Amino acid sequence: MATAKPPARPAILSANALLGGEVVYFGAAGWTVRLDEALVAADADVLARLEAVLADPGTERDVVDPAFVAVTLDDAGRIVPDHYRERIRALGPTVRADLGPQAEGKHRHVSL
Amino acid sequence: MKLLDRAGWIEDPFVRDGADANLLPIEAAREALGRVRPLGIEVPPTADPDSLVGLFNQVDLIAVRFPGHRDGRGFSIGRALRELGFTGRLRASGELIPDHFAFALACGFDEVEIDEARAARQPVEQWLAAAGVIGPTYQSVRDGRRSIFAARRAA
Amino acid sequence: MYRYDEFDEAIVRDRIAQFRAQVARRLDGSLSEEEFVLIRQMNGLYLQLHTYMLRVAIPYGTLNSRQARQLALIAERYDRGYGHLTTRQNIQFNWPRLADVPDILELLADVEMHCIQTSGNCIRNVTADHLAGVAADEIEDPRPTAELIRQWSTLHPEFSFLPRKFKIAVSGAVHDRTVLAIHDVGVQIVFDEERGGIGYRISVGGGMGRTPMLGKVIRDFLPKEELLSYLEAILRAYNLAGRRDNKHKARIKILVHEIGLEAFRERVERIFARLDRTSIDVDAAERARIAAYFAPPPFADLPAESAALEEARRRDPALDAFVRTNLIRHRQPGYAALTVSTKPIGGVPGDVTAEQLRVLADLAEAYSFDELRIAHSQNVVLPHVRLDDVPAVWARLVEAGLATANAGLVTDIIACPGMDYCKLATARSIPIAQAISERFADPARAAEIGPIGIKISGCINACGHHHVGNIGILGLERQGIENYQITIGGDATELAALGERLGPGVDAEAVPDVIERIVAIYLAERAPGETFADTVRRIGIEPFRPALAAPKEAVREAA
Repeated sequence: MATAKPPARPAILSANALLGGEVVYFGAAGWTVRLDEALVAADADVLARLEAVLADPGTERDVVDPAFVAVTLDDAGRIVPDHYRERIRALGPTVRADLGPQAEGKHRHVSL
Repeated sequence: MKLLDRAGWIEDPFVRDGADANLLPIEAAREALGRVRPLGIEVPPTADPDSLVGLFNQVDLIAVRFPGHRDGRGFSIGRALRELGFTGRLRASGELIPDHFAFALACGFDEVEIDEARAARQPVEQWLAAAGVIGPTYQSVRDGRRSIFAARRAA
Repeated sequence: MYRYDEFDEAIVRDRIAQFRAQVARRLDGSLSEEEFVLIRQMNGLYLQLHTYMLRVAIPYGTLNSRQARQLALIAERYDRGYGHLTTRQNIQFNWPRLADVPDILELLADVEMHCIQTSGNCIRNVTADHLAGVAADEIEDPRPTAELIRQWSTLHPEFSFLPRKFKIAVSGAVHDRTVLAIHDVGVQIVFDEERGGIGYRISVGGGMGRTPMLGKVIRDFLPKEELLSYLEAILRAYNLAGRRDNKHKARIKILVHEIGLEAFRERVERIFARLDRTSIDVDAAERARIAAYFAPPPFADLPAESAALEEARRRDPALDAFVRTNLIRHRQPGYAALTVSTKPIGGVPGDVTAEQLRVLADLAEAYSFDELRIAHSQNVVLPHVRLDDVPAVWARLVEAGLATANAGLVTDIIACPGMDYCKLATARSIPIAQAISERFADPARAAEIGPIGIKISGCINACGHHHVGNIGILGLERQGIENYQITIGGDATELAALGERLGPGVDAEAVPDVIERIVAIYLAERAPGETFADTVRRIGIEPFRPALAAPKEAVREAA
């Protein structure tokens, strides 16, 4: 189970799905591949909920390596990961536009 | 703590605490030599197998500590103890998982000791299954099985 | 090549059954993720940025057509239609699902392949000269030795939970094509008449990463029959004393460095003297049994030159260019080895599609005694092609996009997957390789520059071997942006050397310019016949420092 520092700024929770391996984010209805559905720990309640997910031993039945990811909300209120590693995770390999979420047109607002 | 060997859970005739303690750290064990029988010594993963040779005849059990599931020093210690001629009981104790069991047996351990929580999470059936899932392997081993190289020689 | 007997086959199948059970125990919660990580790594399964990655072992880089076709099938059925060749002669699949891995393993086992110990804190794939059985400077084919080490190290009960990974390479020739000096243990086959003929020079403590070191000779001459016992002694000394407190200080190179080679040698020799060697070493019959699989193929008796090839070269300049760069002289007259470049201009170094794997399988089967090699350069080699057949092989390679005539040249760049794929990376490496490749796309220019090895790593773990690149590039992060440090002076041959930093790191956009300036300085300074590496050895790295600065600043410095 991950030991994660509480985030210093708006953050979401991300992991990889245990069975399929795909990048997932923790949303209102649980783990989702859609970045826009991720719960943002901008307030204490959501932060507490995400921390509870990290602390829950059952979480590793669903995902691997859950961790907080710092994000910024753009002008349109869309979630954009701060670090370029997380933007690559949201898109797919930058050298293969035909692979990863980007190939399905996902997360278009995220750019490297 | 719970103890198992290749057949399943077994009773532990050794005790670490109390007046009848007979499984002791090395220094305390040295003091108990000749007085306590059966006698077991507990060795850390930093132990030098050569330094224990003088105790072999007076000690019935050597318990080698495995402090973490990634820490394989005990395998070298156990195997070295057998090579140096120790014929008593050899125990692997600590943070082991069923996937270590076959390796431990191959290195000459007779038994594995784990805590209750671990035993509950990884029941004995998993240990016994894990011990037998791989057939003959290439290395010469001490669990009674023939190595692949030996089998080829015999063929 | 080696063929499994029933014992080899059983181990691989048993390991799959074991892995299935381990996955089941992970899914039902009896194995924690923390416990499962090492277990899945010991079967080659990583978690990377986007999803899992499965690393398939290609022992000493040798593959046959049946295996290559199966890899193609796996790529199509369970992955995204391609695989990636690594600097340790393995192949990686980047998109497997955990649930599918046992089935993938069964398909691999059907063709005598596996993923055993391609990751984890255990003895990894044993690598060897990709020109085994080809090169004229060969003393003895390294692959029987490598195969013996592979078997001995597989599921070794004492050495499966080492402080860290352990990499062994075997070289059987005068010239080293295995980068022996950067391995935890290097096994160099030597011939010494006075000491009984063929034996091994054993080096220890090489490694890349945060603190790169070159291996040191621990045993000048080890009789052949003592190899496995001696390796056991080294491994035991390491297993007992290697650091376990800090992942970045856990390799054997750190232990040798901290206690000194002499002290380490004493420990090893003491252990070695007490081992029961008869139970560890194999006898001559077993060595002969293994060696028989690597006997030379039934070469035809051919003239040293091929009139047909020479004529074809005269007619086709592109074929001529390919022969000049990618054809390697063979010890057998009338034959050659061909380097199949996986570095097309602007391409992803080391990636091969399923279709390309099938073409390579067909070519190997039809033209190369059913054999392929994977080199640590990430290129593929067809080891035994008749000179007469080179035009036909080349034509097929052209169709398949595998005929880039750049072996060993400036666009034959070694690059790790970097942050486009790898969770450990601090920066991307592939786009840097692509940019440099495109900048130097002109074949005439590449020919003028001559042999030069650029190696790129996307993090300090140095899987791209940048420390031993003639030009090394290390991708780091600085203030939230990718930043690249350039090193010069590395050498991956028997003249092994670690590169030295030129200066502060530069942005991604600046890298091709810096490489151009380095090359320009080399071209200005080189003596006739000098390769880049030769020139650096002669003049040192100082003359190259101005390359980091943009042209007008460089001029100002020179004035």
